[in-house]
Amino acid sequence: MSKKKGQGLYLSDQQPLTTVKTIFLVISYVLLFLYVFVILWPLAQIVFTSFNGNQGAYIQIGGTYAFSLKHFKYLFEETYFTNWVFNTIVIALATAALTLLFVSFTGYAYSRYRFKGRKASLMAIMLIQTIPSFAGIVAFYTLHSIVASIAPWFSRQMFLILIYAGGGIAGNTFILKGYIDSISTELDDAARIDGCGNLQVYRLIIMPIVRPMLAVIALWSFIGPFLDFMLPSILLNDPKAYTLATGLNTLITDQYNMHQPVFAAGGLLTAVPIIILFIALQKQLVSGLASGAVKG
Amino acid sequence: MKVQLVNIGKKYEGRENFTIRHIDLEIDDKEFCVILGPSGCGKSTLLRMIAGLNSITEGDLLFDGKRMNKVEPKDRDIAMVFQSYALYPHMTVYDNMAFSLKMRKDKKTVIHERVTEAAELLQITEYLYSKPSEISGGQRQRVALGRAMVRKAGVFLLDEPLSNLDAKLREHMRVELVRLHKSLDTTSIYVTHDQTEAMTMATKIVLLDQGKVQQMGKPSEFYETPANLFVAGFIGSPTMNVFHGTMKDGLFSSDDGLVSVEPGPADKDKLASHEGKKVALGIRSERFIAGESDKNQITVTIDVIEMLGKEQLLYCKLSNGKECVISEPGYFRYTVDEDHKFHFDPKGLHFFDEETTSRIN
Repeated sequence: MSKKKGQGLYLSDQQPLTTVKTIFLVISYVLLFLYVFVILWPLAQIVFTSFNGNQGAYIQIGGTYAFSLKHFKYLFEETYFTNWVFNTIVIALATAALTLLFVSFTGYAYSRYRFKGRKASLMAIMLIQTIPSFAGIVAFYTLHSIVASIAPWFSRQMFLILIYAGGGIAGNTFILKGYIDSISTELDDAARIDGCGNLQVYRLIIMPIVRPMLAVIALWSFIGPFLDFMLPSILLNDPKAYTLATGLNTLITDQYNMHQPVFAAGGLLTAVPIIILFIALQKQLVSGLASGAVKG
Repeated sequence: MKVQLVNIGKKYEGRENFTIRHIDLEIDDKEFCVILGPSGCGKSTLLRMIAGLNSITEGDLLFDGKRMNKVEPKDRDIAMVFQSYALYPHMTVYDNMAFSLKMRKDKKTVIHERVTEAAELLQITEYLYSKPSEISGGQRQRVALGRAMVRKAGVFLLDEPLSNLDAKLREHMRVELVRLHKSLDTTSIYVTHDQTEAMTMATKIVLLDQGKVQQMGKPSEFYETPANLFVAGFIGSPTMNVFHGTMKDGLFSSDDGLVSVEPGPADKDKLASHEGKKVALGIRSERFIAGESDKNQITVTIDVIEMLGKEQLLYCKLSNGKECVISEPGYFRYTVDEDHKFHFDPKGLHFFDEETTSRIN
């Protein structure tokens, strides 16, 4: 998009831009830059604040800056931050693993098998999706007390995992079914003649092809528990058992425990596990493996 | 391996009618059998039943006399090539070909030997470590063939394997497939809707339509003595010319009165019982003889000329507008809109009963 004297303004391989189009182009760039600012400025503030030793209990913008790690120190020494991180990662990993396992089965079954109630149950899953899981909080609460009275080892965190995974399985079944639908069933036939059973067809043939979609599902299931605040804040009652979102929240809601810069520092660290997972899955997320399976 | 189908029928779940029914078929060892038919005639269903990918509703499938109805596909000693090639996209060409042997838990040295042997025969050694997405359509097709070859199966099943190739490559692969069949020494069952493929490759053709076997036999029989009007129309390019009419005093005369033909002496006896009945007369384009004659003659106006070099196809019209196709050697000179006289070769006539559509002579 270089502009030289005497030459028109070109976008990719199209006709040169007219004056009106150039004005629109400038406007869209201004809007885009505004949008970027709206997104990036708060993020930048979080980074600055968490390293700013001159910040007190409340975040003040425009104050003096002095580099310090005292907020991080507070986070690790005065709060249950390490517990929260551990809890959240365990819950997130368990959710992702459970979701992947079940979605693999349900997505494959809905895509490849014909059985009674197939359409009806798919519709039911879709309809239930429209109700937010938070609406069932009373039911969850009662259900847990019943289960816990029979099996005392069944903790509230485990229950939380089941809720997250249950919600994820329903929605992701649709996504994976659609993706598997796009793979030619002749691949299944070929695998069957080559000596695969049903599970082997999925494990050796279908799963490697749908890996990019499984990576997306895993990533989303993993991120879910990091973002959710409502369910854990109601279900979990021991501060040590909190997840990150609920735990960090105590730093900005309680008058006596108000540490907004520490909250910012915690928020910054929260991003680390997600970024690590994203980098690990990057190759899967961007690959388009299914090309070249059939004629081309 | 000898493949026998005894009164085989298939009804898909939720459908009222049988897709195919009462199919009796015997394919001898080392035969190249082509199952031919228009789309939707049930030919792929038949092949999938032989492969074990679809269940058999009724009848028996026998391999060398053993009933195979309930045997898993992998235990049937078959190999199959699919229309879309169905290569595993995440594996290299080598792994694609080795997959079935690995599943059988063959030794690594045996696998390597078989794969390299097949790759050399198919000339794909260069691409052994490429992914299917990195090679061309023709090469993928060879890989699909190779994947089936390494199994050294008793029956080789092919489901329209050439339909995704361009014309030139298809012609080349036809010859190569026949060669391959010879060197593999197995029974091949080949499904196609292309009559050229069937005529050129098969030792035995089975023509299916509407779930029934219309004719079964050698390619030459299909061309020279089609069993009914459907076969006559399906086999041969250009399509056989058909005139509808009745037998009167030993002569065939068309409904419009423009064509009057005296059958050859051998045909006359067989047509005797059809005196006064509705009959269809078929004649292939090359059995018209140019020039005048005292009998069996028609006068036509040339509408379109397709020059193929060796021969030319004349799309002609009779005086009432009925079309017929005549082929003449390429060096004859014809011009559009000219009137010409042709006569029928009495040895190249096919007579069909209009009621049953089956062959009379």
